Amino acid sequence: MALRRTHHLALLILALVLIAIPAIQNLADVPLSHDIRPGYGVTDVRWLSDYFPPLRDTPGDTPVYILEGEQPGGVFLLLGGTHANEIAGIMAATLVVERAVASQGTVIVIPHANNSAAKHNSGTYNANSPQWFELTSASGEVRSFRYGDRRTQPEDQQPDPSVFVHFPSGIEFAGDEARNLNRNHPGKADGTLTQQISYALFQLVESENVNVLVDMHESSLSSSLAHTLVCHPRALEVGAFAILDLEIGGISLKQEASRQEYYGLSHREFGDRTSALAFLIESPNPGQEAGELAPDVVSDPRAPLSDRVHLQLATVQAILSNHRLLEGERFSIAFSFPFDLDELIGADLGAFFR
Amino acid sequence: MYRRNLRLLVAALSVMVFAFAGAALAQETEPVEEEAFGTPVLIVSVGQSAGAQQAKVLAIKAGLDYVFEQRPDLSLLEEKQTLILVMGASSKGLGAAGVDIEGEIAWATDLVARARELEMTVIAMHIEGGSRRGPTSDQIITALTPLADYIVVKGANPDIEWTESEEANANADGLFDTIAAEHEIAIAYIAKTLDGVGVLIDLFGIEATE
Repeated sequence: MALRRTHHLALLILALVLIAIPAIQNLADVPLSHDIRPGYGVTDVRWLSDYFPPLRDTPGDTPVYILEGEQPGGVFLLLGGTHANEIAGIMAATLVVERAVASQGTVIVIPHANNSAAKHNSGTYNANSPQWFELTSASGEVRSFRYGDRRTQPEDQQPDPSVFVHFPSGIEFAGDEARNLNRNHPGKADGTLTQQISYALFQLVESENVNVLVDMHESSLSSSLAHTLVCHPRALEVGAFAILDLEIGGISLKQEASRQEYYGLSHREFGDRTSALAFLIESPNPGQEAGELAPDVVSDPRAPLSDRVHLQLATVQAILSNHRLLEGERFSIAFSFPFDLDELIGADLGAFFR
Repeated sequence: MYRRNLRLLVAALSVMVFAFAGAALAQETEPVEEEAFGTPVLIVSVGQSAGAQQAKVLAIKAGLDYVFEQRPDLSLLEEKQTLILVMGASSKGLGAAGVDIEGEIAWATDLVARARELEMTVIAMHIEGGSRRGPTSDQIITALTPLADYIVVKGANPDIEWTESEEANANADGLFDTIAAEHEIAIAYIAKTLDGVGVLIDLFGIEATE
């Protein structure tokens, strides 16, 4: 009798476990949340899955913040976190969400374009790079932000193929590049998670009629890519105007044209397949420097995060102002902060966040 | 004969452009004694870097009558008065154009030869700074700059302290000074790319609109 009761109890426990495992897995699949505090300028908050429903309840879904200006104008998409270890773009986008107000046109901000990549840092460039970094706000609150990975997490998309074949070009990359969002554009509706994230972004660009797109990235301090503005060929003229304006303001960027063979990259694919003018900005990140023993991704005097955020946002503003100059008021996009962007230079970045 | 007279003209025209941080553009220009460079201008890229786009911006801001073509056929030189070669190598750009550096230099050399037949003035520009120097860019510079009537370079004037970043200095090794001296070519040094607007205004005798 006692043995039979024990047997029934064991079966009951087993049944409960079998029910619980999928539930726990569902909780783990919920998109990762971040400490982002939408400010007065945010007029709507959506999800990337609103533009592609199959992305809902997956690690690839991510918040999309809308800042609508009072005056009509063009549409601007600002991407951070395509590579979640390239934090200047993430923090620049977050700063826009928390402190900016649009005066004309629509500004769409995605601080974590690849939200799966943001989960944790595999140390792709430097095994000593952190998992988190902290900023202290003006009120003294310590806010923690994730330092993620270059690629979609393996647990969210596995296994890697031996060779990643880009769709639709057929160009081959190393297998783990199947999880690199910036090699997967334009994506695929029925593809991998990373391809679906890309596909959703393209749906957003098309449905919102995006006129200008900026993808914010970082590279190592010693990389030739650092301090570069990559422009799709249609965006070269706006980019050239922006480069010259930035130089007067003390920011020196190299300008590179996006080339035909850059399959899968945002500036090439969005520029080729949509009507948006596509740009990519590279700032230098000590956390991506291979030889650094203890990289300081926030306060390294060679490239403090505040300066890198300033570089990203100043470049964005130069692009938008020259886009307005060349394309006309009808497509004008304008947003501003309650502080001069130059105040970021050499400053305590945390003090600018809510 | 034409080229000798032109060299005398530009030798008399000494353009030094300074840009101080936070300050407005300031330049010292000796008055042009004879006719300025002629328009319309054809702006081309030698090396296929984005510098040519920046030169186009300078032309727009200067109010110059120009035609821009990244890598034109020789026929586009017809009815132009001045050819601006914007030098700077982009390995990706050359690949996209389907040429290698030797092919690029050969094309540009043919372009200059045809420009001479048409009695055009040739300006060699290098305006992307030190970050656009390297083995491939230098091949272009050493091959094409000696063929020019005038040089515009973003880099240090040897007689003046360079106050911008070293990365912005395309003349840190004095390459452009050497070429200018050996071939008796007038040269304008600019500290910031946008300073090129003032150089173009002076060279082409453009009246300021403000």
